[in-house]
Amino acid sequence: MVKLTINGIELEAPQGELIVETVKRLGLEIPVFCYHPRMKAVGMCRMCLVETGFKQPDGSVRMMPKPQAGCTLPASEGLVVVTDSEAIHRDRKGVLEFLLINHPLDCPICDRGGECPLQNNTMAYGPSTTRFIEMKRHLPKAFPLSQYVTLDLERCIQCGRCVRFTEEISGDSDLAFRFRGAEMQPSTFQLTDFESRFSGNVIEICPVGALTSAKYRFRARPWDLETSPGVCTECSNGCNVWFDHRAGKQVRINGRANDGVNEEWTCDKGKFGHDWYNSTSRLTKPLVRRGDQFVPASWSEAYEEILAAFADKGGKVAGLTGPRVSNEGLFLFKRLFSEAFGSDNVDHRWRSGPVPTGPVPRPLPIASLESKRHILVFGTHLAEDLPIVHLRVRKAWSQSGATVDVAYSAANEVERFAKASLRCRPGAEAALAKCLLGEAVWSGKATVSDAVRAELAGFNADSAEEKSGVSGATVRAAAARLGEGAVVLTSDRLLDAPEPPSAWKSLKALAEATGSEFVCYPTGTNAAGAELLGLVPDHGLSTWQILEGCKDGKIEALWLVEADPSSTHDAALETVPFLVYQGTLENEAMAYASVVLPMAAPAEQDGTWTNCEGRVQRFRQAIAPPGEAKPAWRVFAECLLRARPSTPFFNPGEVMEEIARVHPVFAPAQYSLLPEEGALVARESLVGEPAGGGG
Amino acid sequence: MPETKLLFEHAHDPQFRTLDGYLAKGGYQGLKKALGMDRQAVIDQVKASGLRGRGGAGFPTWIKWNGIEKEKKNPHYLICNADEGEPGTFKDKQLMEQTPFLLIEGMTIAGYATQADAGYIYIRGEFVDAARSLRQAIDQAYVQGYLGKNILGSGYDLDLYIHMGAGSYECGEESALMSSLMGERGMPRLKFPHAPLPTVAGLWDKPTVINNVETYACAPFILDRGGEWYATLGASTKNSRGTKLFSVSGHVNKPGNYEIEFGTTLVELLDMAGGIKGGKLKACIPGGSSVPIMTAEQVEKAVIGYEELWDDYKTMVGSGGCMFFNEHTCIVSLIWRTAQFYAMESCGKCTPCREGTKWMLQILDRIVRGHGQKGDMDLLLDVTKQIDGRSFCGLGDAAAWPVAGAIRAFPEEFEHFIEHGRSMVQSEEAKAMAPRWAQPAFSH
Ligand SMILES: Cc1cc2nc3c(=O)[nH]c(=O)nc-3n(C[C@H](O)[C@H](O)[C@H](O)COP(=O)(O)O)c2cc1C
Ligand code: SF4
Ligand code: SF4
Ligand code: FES
Repeated sequence: MVKLTINGIELEAPQGELIVETVKRLGLEIPVFCYHPRMKAVGMCRMCLVETGFKQPDGSVRMMPKPQAGCTLPASEGLVVVTDSEAIHRDRKGVLEFLLINHPLDCPICDRGGECPLQNNTMAYGPSTTRFIEMKRHLPKAFPLSQYVTLDLERCIQCGRCVRFTEEISGDSDLAFRFRGAEMQPSTFQLTDFESRFSGNVIEICPVGALTSAKYRFRARPWDLETSPGVCTECSNGCNVWFDHRAGKQVRINGRANDGVNEEWTCDKGKFGHDWYNSTSRLTKPLVRRGDQFVPASWSEAYEEILAAFADKGGKVAGLTGPRVSNEGLFLFKRLFSEAFGSDNVDHRWRSGPVPTGPVPRPLPIASLESKRHILVFGTHLAEDLPIVHLRVRKAWSQSGATVDVAYSAANEVERFAKASLRCRPGAEAALAKCLLGEAVWSGKATVSDAVRAELAGFNADSAEEKSGVSGATVRAAAARLGEGAVVLTSDRLLDAPEPPSAWKSLKALAEATGSEFVCYPTGTNAAGAELLGLVPDHGLSTWQILEGCKDGKIEALWLVEADPSSTHDAALETVPFLVYQGTLENEAMAYASVVLPMAAPAEQDGTWTNCEGRVQRFRQAIAPPGEAKPAWRVFAECLLRARPSTPFFNPGEVMEEIARVHPVFAPAQYSLLPEEGALVARESLVGEPAGGGG
Repeated sequence: MPETKLLFEHAHDPQFRTLDGYLAKGGYQGLKKALGMDRQAVIDQVKASGLRGRGGAGFPTWIKWNGIEKEKKNPHYLICNADEGEPGTFKDKQLMEQTPFLLIEGMTIAGYATQADAGYIYIRGEFVDAARSLRQAIDQAYVQGYLGKNILGSGYDLDLYIHMGAGSYECGEESALMSSLMGERGMPRLKFPHAPLPTVAGLWDKPTVINNVETYACAPFILDRGGEWYATLGASTKNSRGTKLFSVSGHVNKPGNYEIEFGTTLVELLDMAGGIKGGKLKACIPGGSSVPIMTAEQVEKAVIGYEELWDDYKTMVGSGGCMFFNEHTCIVSLIWRTAQFYAMESCGKCTPCREGTKWMLQILDRIVRGHGQKGDMDLLLDVTKQIDGRSFCGLGDAAAWPVAGAIRAFPEEFEHFIEHGRSMVQSEEAKAMAPRWAQPAFSH
């Protein structure tokens, strides 16, 4: 800690802390443009100038002749800072005047108008009139950087935030400055497409309306938007977002800060992938089949038909759930099947068919990846499967000096910073895992049971080239880097590969035998919740068996909740006598349905979702569901009540209390206790060990 | 004082560009003495010499050398700033072309004193001849053991590399030069107190000494004849020691590089260059286009020295690019041209320089086209104040000073141009110097 003086107030600050941060603790603000707390300070815009000086041994203060940038100035012993003098106000006015002379001032039609740092700083510190009578700079106003991001070059203030984001955070370095001086402009290299999985973030960090979303451009004024804190449900990372809506329609997704999860970033799937909320294919009414046709029905009619087909049918009925159902919905679905239908045939894994056996360690919190020495990313296309985990792995490398190896069968973004890429042949994941384990064992780095040892015969670094396509030297080096402080990280994509049980088992054994941690993150939005809530058959049939059962007549009624196996199991859906399709959107499976139930989307209900690290996060209702669509949990609660008179659940909070009673790990997720940043509840692995028979 | 030839004593002797010729004229005596000395003793000699950086800022050279960690824990680097981009300056070019061994020996001495492992000579891209001459000299030095492993049996190793820039003025700014050398865009980096000094974390974040070509070229003399001897040169000035190369250009009869002892007057320098040509002396920019302009009256009395020029005339020795102008020079269009240079060379990193240099140019452009407005002078001065000391690096300052300086020194010329829409200087000579589109402002 060092002692310094800011505006006459003495305080202590950690040595080296940037003054722009230190002043915040005094409740003061230094205006900034280029500074962003999650990126390296560069001192480009000069908006943050402050007067500085140093205390001399005799107690007097020697002021420096020139103002200094507060965003790059580190706290040091005896530093004296003045943020609020006449000279500083003059400097701020000067910088703003420079930024405004060439700015188009088209605020009335600018997406940023109303939430624009340039407007705000001008309001607070800027000049009230212009002295500029020359011709303003004229540049392209709607330059498409990509299908998502449009650049208005006239509005750009050259702060470099977008460029630095692609260099420091997303790591694709897709943006750079070209030309110099007043001509300088952010651009993609050679005007190619801005191809980044994270491009949407630059729209948000741009301090002016220069980077705009092609989807949101000119669609609303910020003050007409309502916003609700939400969680992205497009994948299992569970990014915290602002869900912006207007007149009941989804309009925009912005990142919301949660240091444990997404910091403040989102991926493009999340930022631009919520269009379906407003789709004309949204289901809005319950439908029942009459011959070749669907006719609209009341919920009551629909329930009656469903109960007639399902109630007390025991093992002859089954249910498959998709990834976007809330914890509350999943829990009641399972209960409905066990209590009202007498069936244990429920499964959430309709993509791959692992069957869990035995506990494995709880998933690592995403943020903890930052403190690892080494990370081996195995068998997963990380940036695609787990985009936000990818950013953390990259941060571990770029900011904490972790080393990263990646083993995958195709080109992928981790290779850009990985120490070694173990590019194996597609399908050779299992062999590669065994070679790595073999190498660890034969080199004496790891010990395994005799049985495992026997299985490893012939698998080693020398045979890796032939068995997996990865060179022996690479395998040897990669195996050597494992050990304490290392993590072997994979996702359930590994289970899509051939021989999933073998790959999974060898990988887990590799981690355990070398003393590394092992984590297998699920990729389905609420797959973690489904796993924890037991949406897997304890004694009943698994997905694969259910779908086979449909074909051979063992299953007479099937309930699909946002699950659509039609592409792989068309025949099963066609054959099963009674099919319920419950979902948000029309789809292929509907063609075979007897009853169709419209489902509320996540933002249209209150509920919780569990992300890949086992963090339960609440999403409060932002907008109303379309038509008569209902949240899944309510549908199951109502069915349950019709089938078995019992104490009704009036709201999802009550359902969560019941969940906590049945599954104590969920106790911290009760709505009265659940913190804003969510609660990590997972105790065990979220992806069970595969046991063959994929679906 | 007459010309004092130290660096340039043998410049015109082609033999001096070969190692044998250089040795025959007493070359490498400085290095030999240095290698026999304690490293600190070498730095102490430089301290005693009073040598200050010849790249523009006049920073005491020994402080840089002394700032490198003494107990070596990192690779150490040496950089020679041979970008020489300041308009009016062309002394480094001649030094490299004609006296390459002075630079190489100087760098070797500096390298020995600071335990440098490698030295990079960052040469302005256009200086092909200079680079070629240096290349040959470096090759000869390697062959005869003056570079490379175990230099002259001392156990000290040094490798020198030539790096050609791409002709950006900003890449002469030391931190931008390092960015460029490391393969990044030529933009300046954070400086003390925002980041450690280059002597602590410079090139690749390792301890680095960066000096100008001329600065290094002085070191062989200091080590050979002693720092105290060197300090006798220029002793008449407050704190400027040794000789200084001045590139004299403009309206003089014999433009070229002249080596003078500090304490020489500007008038003496003008005389060396054959005196003013084509009319009476009107103005002088003594140290490169970025330093404030002086009037003829000021030139009459001015003594050349870092403090002397600053204290009395608020102008600078700078890089030694000394330009004299005769009475047919239109100061407004001269400054318009200068402003154009800086607007084009601004790297774009920081707001004041990026926007301010362009705005100044736009205003001056308007004035030269005859559309000046009342208040333009105040506006220009305000803009210079908003740039000076507010920009990220010295280029912003360098762009602001000449404009502010000219308005201070020749206010009536600006007033006249703004009021009448034409230059105060009306003559055929002035017209000939003006760009074609500006000639209406010079027609009778
Ligand atoms: C915009 C700008 C351009 C510069 N160009 C040069 C140059 O071309 N050559 C040079 O030696 N120094 C140049 N300098 C000065 C260097 O930053 C630095 O002060 C110098 O290389 C230090 O060497 P010295 O101590 O030997 O003078 C420039 C400075 C600025 C701000
Ligand atoms: S586009 Fe936006 S973020 Fe990028 S440099 Fe311009 S103002 Fe900054
Ligand atoms: S003053 Fe600013 S814009 Fe100008 S060259 Fe330096 S950093 Fe670049
Ligand atoms: S915020 Fe400090 S220079 Fe931009």
